[in-house]
Formats: sequence, structure tokens, C-alpha cells
Amino acid sequence: MIFIILQIIFLISLAPLVSGIITKIKNNLRLRRGQSVWQPYYNLAKLFSKDEVCSEHSSWVFKITPFIVFASSLLALFLVPAFIAKSPAQYLGDLLLLVFIFSLGRFFLALAGLDTGSSFGGMGSSREMFISSFAEPAIVMAFFAVSFNFGTTNLAATCGPGALKFSSLIAGIALLIVTLAETSRIPIDNQETHLELTMIHEAMALEYSGPSLALIELASYLKQIVFFTLISATVYPVVFCAQITPIQALTGIIIYLAKISFIAVLIAFTEVFLAKMRLFRAVDFLYFSFVLALLALIAATLGA
Amino acid sequence: MLNLFNTSIAFLLDPLSFFFVFTILLISLASAIYSVGYLQGEYSLRKRLYGWVLFAAFIVSMLFVVTVNNALIFLISWEAMSLLSYFLVIFDQKNEKSISAGIIYLVMTHIGTAFIIASFLIMYKYSGSFDFAAIKAACQNIPVFTKNLVFIFLLIGFGTKAGIVPLHIWLPYAHPQAPSHISSLMSGVMIKTAIYGIIRFIIFILGIESLWWGNLILIIAIISCLVGVIYALMEHDLKKLLAYHSVENIGIILLGIGASMVFIKLKLTVLAVLALSVGLYHLINHAIFKGLLFLCAGSVYKATGTGDMEKFGGLIKKMPQTALAFLFGAMAISALPPLNGFVSEWLTLQVFFIGAFSVSSGLKIFFAICASLLALTGGLAASCFVKAFGITFLAMPRSAKAKEAVEAGLSMKIGMFFLAFFTVVFGLGAAVVFKILAKVSQSVLAGELAPINFSLNNFTINIQEGNFVYLSVPQIALILAIILLITATLIYLFTGKVKKYGTWNCGYYKLTPRNEYTATAFSKPFRIAFGFFLKPYRKTEKLRESFYHVKTFKYETHTTSIFQEYIYKPILAFTFGSARFIRKIQPGSIHLYIAYIFATIVALIVLIKIF
Amino acid sequence: MHTYVFLSGILIMTYFMVIAKRLPPLISSFRLQSLFLFLFTVSLAISGGEPSLYVVAGLILILKVILIPTLLLRIIKKIKVNENLGFFMNPQLSLFTALLLTYLSYLFTFRVMNLIDRMQAASFALALCVTLLGLFIMVFRIKALSQIVGLLVMENGLFLTAVTMCRGLPFIVEFSTFLDIFISVIILGVFVYRINTLFTHIDVNKLDNLKG
Repeated sequence: MIFIILQIIFLISLAPLVSGIITKIKNNLRLRRGQSVWQPYYNLAKLFSKDEVCSEHSSWVFKITPFIVFASSLLALFLVPAFIAKSPAQYLGDLLLLVFIFSLGRFFLALAGLDTGSSFGGMGSSREMFISSFAEPAIVMAFFAVSFNFGTTNLAATCGPGALKFSSLIAGIALLIVTLAETSRIPIDNQETHLELTMIHEAMALEYSGPSLALIELASYLKQIVFFTLISATVYPVVFCAQITPIQALTGIIIYLAKISFIAVLIAFTEVFLAKMRLFRAVDFLYFSFVLALLALIAATLGA
Repeated sequence: MLNLFNTSIAFLLDPLSFFFVFTILLISLASAIYSVGYLQGEYSLRKRLYGWVLFAAFIVSMLFVVTVNNALIFLISWEAMSLLSYFLVIFDQKNEKSISAGIIYLVMTHIGTAFIIASFLIMYKYSGSFDFAAIKAACQNIPVFTKNLVFIFLLIGFGTKAGIVPLHIWLPYAHPQAPSHISSLMSGVMIKTAIYGIIRFIIFILGIESLWWGNLILIIAIISCLVGVIYALMEHDLKKLLAYHSVENIGIILLGIGASMVFIKLKLTVLAVLALSVGLYHLINHAIFKGLLFLCAGSVYKATGTGDMEKFGGLIKKMPQTALAFLFGAMAISALPPLNGFVSEWLTLQVFFIGAFSVSSGLKIFFAICASLLALTGGLAASCFVKAFGITFLAMPRSAKAKEAVEAGLSMKIGMFFLAFFTVVFGLGAAVVFKILAKVSQSVLAGELAPINFSLNNFTINIQEGNFVYLSVPQIALILAIILLITATLIYLFTGKVKKYGTWNCGYYKLTPRNEYTATAFSKPFRIAFGFFLKPYRKTEKLRESFYHVKTFKYETHTTSIFQEYIYKPILAFTFGSARFIRKIQPGSIHLYIAYIFATIVALIVLIKIF
Repeated sequence: MHTYVFLSGILIMTYFMVIAKRLPPLISSFRLQSLFLFLFTVSLAISGGEPSLYVVAGLILILKVILIPTLLLRIIKKIKVNENLGFFMNPQLSLFTALLLTYLSYLFTFRVMNLIDRMQAASFALALCVTLLGLFIMVFRIKALSQIVGLLVMENGLFLTAVTMCRGLPFIVEFSTFLDIFISVIILGVFVYRINTLFTHIDVNKLDNLKG
């Protein structure tokens, strides 16, 4: 139990760092020095201490949204196994619950985008819902393939010596493409953009400031680490099923960190080497990931 | 044919009927309370009384449909239900649209009824009785080909009422034209009687003959889901949008029932019970949230006098309670935890996941495709309700009427919140509800089997030893609430003040409602992505003063309904064409008519000699 | 275990080629595919301990990863042709067809070939699939350069078959195949260049204008 609580605290504190590392790698690849990897923490601290400005056209939906988005991301964190296979809340729900939980946060964020009456917010909401709708079949299909490998959709069962299967590998790549879409990264979206017309995720949160913005940012860091953990848990499952000794836990943490940093490097490379796609090419990209997931499923039914 | 009319009314009160009676009464109660305030001020007292009598008769006819024990009485009450609902559709007679919607509805529903009558007559030929038990016993002797025919007839007949694609075209016309409390009853309950028919006559009485029955229903269901939600996204009339979502949700319900039929044929009884109860769960959930959404749409309609979403906006400030109730409905239909829609959609996905472990590899892939298309449907439905809620209730009012809207009356609010309360109850109390539904579907499928022990929190069916799948909605709700409370308190305690200021509009000085994102704009990406299906048409017109200055700009876009264009129009053209042809045999000469009669009699005599 | 990584790399790169809309991504995907093929061969060489495989792997690295893609990219630059591939079948449908072909080759492997070793079965199915997809690219893409790439992909598939089924062909056959491929790429490259200077396009489907 103590490990489980530790795991959640560990993941929350790690989440901004992952973003920082990705930015750092990207900058170094572009031959820049770049900001420090701790910059996301400074940003959060700064935002939390600021006053807030709120649009006069907005309603209570706008005010409660950051909390709901944050709560849904945090709840998702309860579900994924990072370095302890018995995920903290295995009695709560399974793999599929993640899809629904994220859709809760997204629903409210999209409403908040529409709430301020600016055209940019609406544009962001429309595009975000558009892309996420097309990401969902790929996620479910990938989950299907993964669940065949583990024999269940219960995440607590995803453990054991790392069985790197052909099907789960391809499912992992499909999930990686979905992750690019869900965490608003190139080639679907661009986190670094400053032009309102090209924003997707950022446009919805355009009107937020101060602590509310901090909560939304933190929520997206959490969402990112949930997706990374999910990929790592499905492709290369947690090694120790029932962890008791601290040494095993430590080994688990080291393996986990290695997996996460590998995914971070992969994401950073894709972001640097790909260009942003047109919105409607993004559908093709997600369709590609759906087909990969279907392929993974076929491989899984054939036992590969 | 002697004992045709020698039937007495007898009721069949098994758990399935009780379930449907409960559903009908639940929605009817809310709708009745709501109608008091809704009809006030719109119509004269006489008209209102007439409306209530029709309303009561409609409910009674539905209750008869789901409880009678005799196919003939069933048909009579079915027909009564259709006719009464027709009169309710054209209740608002001033409106031209009501009349034409009523005619489309009447024609479609009678085509459906014709198919049901045909299938009943075929079954009667073998049973010699209209009693359900007798038909069920006789169904074992029906040859395979005839059984398939009966299945197809029943599917078309009940499918027309349920609104499966491509028989759905009456639904988006008829449901929005009725007064809102009737729409909620029609969309929430009446189309579910068709599902009752499918369960009662295909699963319970006829029995599943071959595997393709279930597969066919699954394919139809998933197509209905997608077509319904895509059309709903394109729709900007609030009630029409909701009507298209009924098509989608009927699809989701049929996914559970179709899966159940597949499992029955494969002799996986436990899974069949699971799938059927999931279908029933989504059925009652859809009844609740769709009823709720129609009631809210009615309040908005009453307050603004229009159903066009582009004229709404900012209603959350004028009608806060209606907005809250609508938000509950929207969250439920978008399958957001912890409300009821989420539970049944999670369960439907789970049926495919669990079922896939014990079927052949071809079916596995089919199930996976069904599940992922269901996920696509869920995503699109959520987008659609972001649009519906966001454009209708949020931001600034887009028209003068929306600016002057007032909150709905007390009885309307009670009606709405009554159902909103149940979206929460059926979400949090999922474990209990599911246990009851499992009993209902067990009574349908295999009354003689030992009780099956699975609960919402513990699915162990056909899965590896020791691996359980859980879902605990109260825990999810609790954790969400705790996180919300803690963060909200922390933020409230430790942060500075909140300042109100105008919305950032990229430096443009004056933000007006015309700058807001519209429903058309919101759905544009979807319109383009599904362009191959929707065949959008657009026209732009610019009036220029000079090269740089455009004086007026007109943008027009609409989508083509391919079902009307490529299925119904050719059929209609063919019908009219053949009618024109047949008209030739009617020259108006009385001698010829008598000759026809003579010829018919001779032909009959010859035929009788043959048989 | 790591061979699975290389195999899925090869497969995914083939899929990328199927949906590629322009020539440069097509060629870069081919380069990456060959890189994975190289890694796969090396891993086989290490586990099998056959020295000739090292040489073959080296040939792959030099020819298919470095020389041929560079050459093709240079041709594109030189003839300044429109980079779009031209489709007879749009990317979405192509991808779906590719999936069907993959499924077919899997079915063929598991039903017809009856291979016992799972690893071998998977890589054989994959090899078959890559060969089929190479043919697919040749048939359904318009520009002449994509025919060259399709041929190369097919060759990769055949090589993969040879390697998985019998640990590679005799060295001399292998070597001459590579040489053949290289020469054919050069010839085709010159050919494409000629077509371009003669007709100012390289649309293969317009070549039927030539007949009288």
C-alpha cells in the first residue's frame, strides 16, 4: 500500500520533468541550448502564485473546468501500473475506463473553449474534438490487441517478465501515434506555437490564466505520463508482479525510468523530424495508427 | 381461421415485460409532470385536454404492447400506438411541417406493420393460434428457410419502428415535430417497444436459427450508430439533432442484443445473458437521458420560439436550471463518468472484449472492429454534444429572442430534474441495476438454468483464472469528488483575486456575437472528413464594391441525404411509374370492370381446382 | 525478442511506403526499411554464426541503406520533377488493401506452410507480405521512380524470405543479386532521366502515347 501511494506521488512529481526533458532534447537536436529541464516546475510555481483574469462572457462552466480536467487526469494516473503491477485502483476499473476518463476532461475543456465567446476557443474545441474522435477507435483497437496478449483488460494483470511480443510492439506503436495526437504534439498539433489560428489544444485554454492555467497545464503533463506509462506497460510489462522488498521496488523504478526516457526520446525525435500536418491529413495519420492496431490484433489472434 | 377472433385478452407478466413497463412509466411520469407547464400558454384549454387524453391513451397502448400475451392483441395495440402517436405528431396543426412529417411517419410505420403482420401470419400457419406460448412451441417445426424469412420480416417490421438505418428516415421528421414532452416519450420509450418486439419475437419466441442473424444485427447496429451520429453532427436544429442521436443509440442497444444472439447460437449462455442485459441497460439509460434532453430542448424552444441552434447562445445565464439539466443529459449521452450512459457504453465495449476471448478468430476481428467503431461513435457523440451544449447555452446570445429568454416554469423544472436525478442514480447504482437486469435477461434466455453469478464489479466469464475485470462507479465518483474538493479548496485558499475582463480576440477591438464560433463552423471538420458520405454542397456569393472591399458575403452549405437520394427517391419514382402504368387498365367503362370481376372469379375457380 | 523489433520495424516502414504521398518520404522509408533489414541480418548472423551473413549484411548497409537511396534522391533533385507520386488508389484504400494482403500472407503461412517455429513463421509471413506490398507499390503508383522503389522493396522481401527459410542463399548468388539490383537501379535511373528529358514527365501511364 505504501508503495502504491509512493508511486502516485512519484508520478505526479515526475510528470512535468518528462515534458522538460522532451523540450530539452528537441532544442539540443536543433543545436540550441534550450531551457532547463526544470522549467515546467518554475512555470507551474509562477502560475500558481499569480492572480487570475477571467472573461466577462464566461459562465460557471468555465470556472469549474480546470478542476474537472485536473481531477480526470489524476484519476487516470490511479489506473496505470508504473513500477508496481498491482495498480493502485485495480478495483476501480480497467484499461477501457481510461478512454472514458480522458473524454470527461476533454468534454469540459472543449466547453470552456466555447464559453468565452471568442472564435479561437471555438476553433480549438472543434478541432480537438475532431481529432480525439478519430483517435478513439485506434486506442480501443490497440487495447483489444493488448488484452489478447494478457488475457484480460485488467491492468493489474499486465505484469511478468518482459514478453516483448510482435503484436504488442505494433500495438505500442499505434498507441504512440495516438499519444502524439492526445498530447498535442507535432505532427498533429504544436505545443510551441504562438499563433492562435494554428493552435488546437492551446486555443481552448487561451482564456485561462493564473492557477486555472496551472491546473490545466499540470493536467496535460499528467495525461502525457499516463499515456507513456500505458505504452511502456503494454509493450514491456512491469517486471515484478508482487513487489515487497524495497530493492525490487528500486529496480522497478529504474526500469520504469529507462522505459519512459526511451519513449520521450522517440517523441522528441519525431517532433523534430516531422512537419506539422494539415488538419485533414491528421485523420489519415490516425487511420494509419488504427490499421496498425488492427494488424496487431490480427497478429495477436494468430498468436504472434 | 375460425378461432381468429375467439381470443381473450391475457397478460404476460414476465420480468421482461415488467422491465419495459417500468421504463415506460418512469419516462411517462416525468413527461406528464413536464407537460403541465409546457402546454400552458401555448394552447387553449380544450386543445390541452385533447392532448392529455391522447397522451394517456398513448401510454396505455404502449403498456398493452409490452404486456399482452397474444399476437393479435399485440398487433391491435401496436397499431393503436402508431395511430395515437401520429395524432400527437400532428398535434401542432398550425404548422405545415407537422402535417408532412406526420404523413412520412404514417407511411413508414405502416410499411413496418405490414411486415410484422406478414411474419405473424406465417407463424400462425404453423401454430394455429395467436397465443405466444403456442407460437413458441410451434416455432420448432418451422423449416429453416421460412424461419429466415420470418426473421427478416420481423427485423424490417420492428426495425422501421426502432429507426435502424436505412429505415430511419421518418424519425428525424416526426420526433421533432411533436410537442417536446411527446418527443421525449416517442424517442425515449416508443422506439424501445420495437426493441421489445425484437427480443420477444426473435430471441424468445422464434429462437436463434443461425449465426448470421446475430452478425446481421451487429452490422446494422454499427451502421446505425455511425450514420445516426454523423447526421446528428450536421444537424443544427436541436430537436432534430436529438432525433438522430436516437438512431445512434438504438444502434448501441442493438449491439448488445446482436452480440447476445451470436452468443446464443454459439451456446455461450452466460455471455448471452451478459450481452442482453447490457443491451437492456443501455435501453433504459437511453430512455432516461434522451427523455431528459428532449424535455430540456422543449424548455429552450418554449423560451426562444425556435429550434435553430445558430440563434441560441448564452442561455446558461438566462436559464441556469435548464442548462444544468441539459448538461447532465449531455454528459450521460456522451458516456462521461460517473453518469449512466458511461456505464452501459463501458459494458457494451466489455461485451465485445470478453466475448472475443471465446469465439473464433474471424469473429474476434469482427468484434474488435465493432468495438472500435463504437468508440468512434462515442467520440463523435461527445463532439456533437459539445456543440449542442456549447452553442446553445454558452458564450453570448446570438439573437434577440435568446437575449430575452426566461427560465422554464416549476413543473417543467421538476420533470427535467426528475430524469436528471435518474441519470445519476443509474450511474452510481450500476451494480444493483445490473443485477436486476441480469435476472431479466436470464428469464428471457434460459429460465431453467441455475442463477448466474456475475456482478458489475466482477466479470470472470471465460477469462483466465484469477483475472477479474472491475468497474466501480461509486468509487470513481468518490475519488473524482475528493480530488475536486481538495484542489478547489487549495486554490481558493492560496490564490489571489479573480478579475473580470473582456475576451482576448487577437487585438480586434469589439467582440460581438457574430465573432463567435457557430454550429456550422464547429461541425465543418467533420463535414469534410465524412465528405464521401455526406456529399456536402457549398456555394459562396460575394458582392464587391471594389477589389478590396467585399460588401456582402453569402455562404451556403448543406449536405445530401444519400438514403433519400439513392434509396427512397428511386423507390418512389418506381412506384409512381408503375401506378401510371396500372392506370391504363382503368378506362372508365363499366363493362370492362364487370369483365375484370368475371375474369377474377374464373381464375379463382381454376386455382382452387389446382390446389 | 529483439528480432521482433526489427521485423515490426520492417513492416511499419513498408506501410509508411504504402501511404507515402511524395517521393522523398518513400525513399527515406525504404532506407529505414533496409536499415532494419540490415539489423535483422546482423542479429541472425550473430545468433547463427555464419560469417557470410556478415558480408551480406555489409552489402545491404552499403548498397541499400546508403548508395541506392542517395542515388534516387539525387535523381529526383536533378530532374526537378513534381514530387507527388500519383495514385491509382488513394492512401486510405491502399492501406486497407495492405492490411488485407498482410492478413492473406499470414493465413498462407499458418495454413499452407505449416511452419512450426513461431519466429520463423512470423518472419516468413512478413517477408511474403513485404514482397506483395512491393508489387502493390509498383502497380498502383504512377511515377516511374516508384516502380524502382517497388522493385527494391520486393527484393528486400525476397531476401528476407531467403534469410529466414534457409539462412541466406549461397554467397555468390546473393552477391550477384545485389549487383543486379544496383545495376538495374542505375539503368532505370538513366531511363527515368531520359523519359523526363523527352516527355518532361515521368508518368508511366502516359507511355501508351508512344504506340502509333
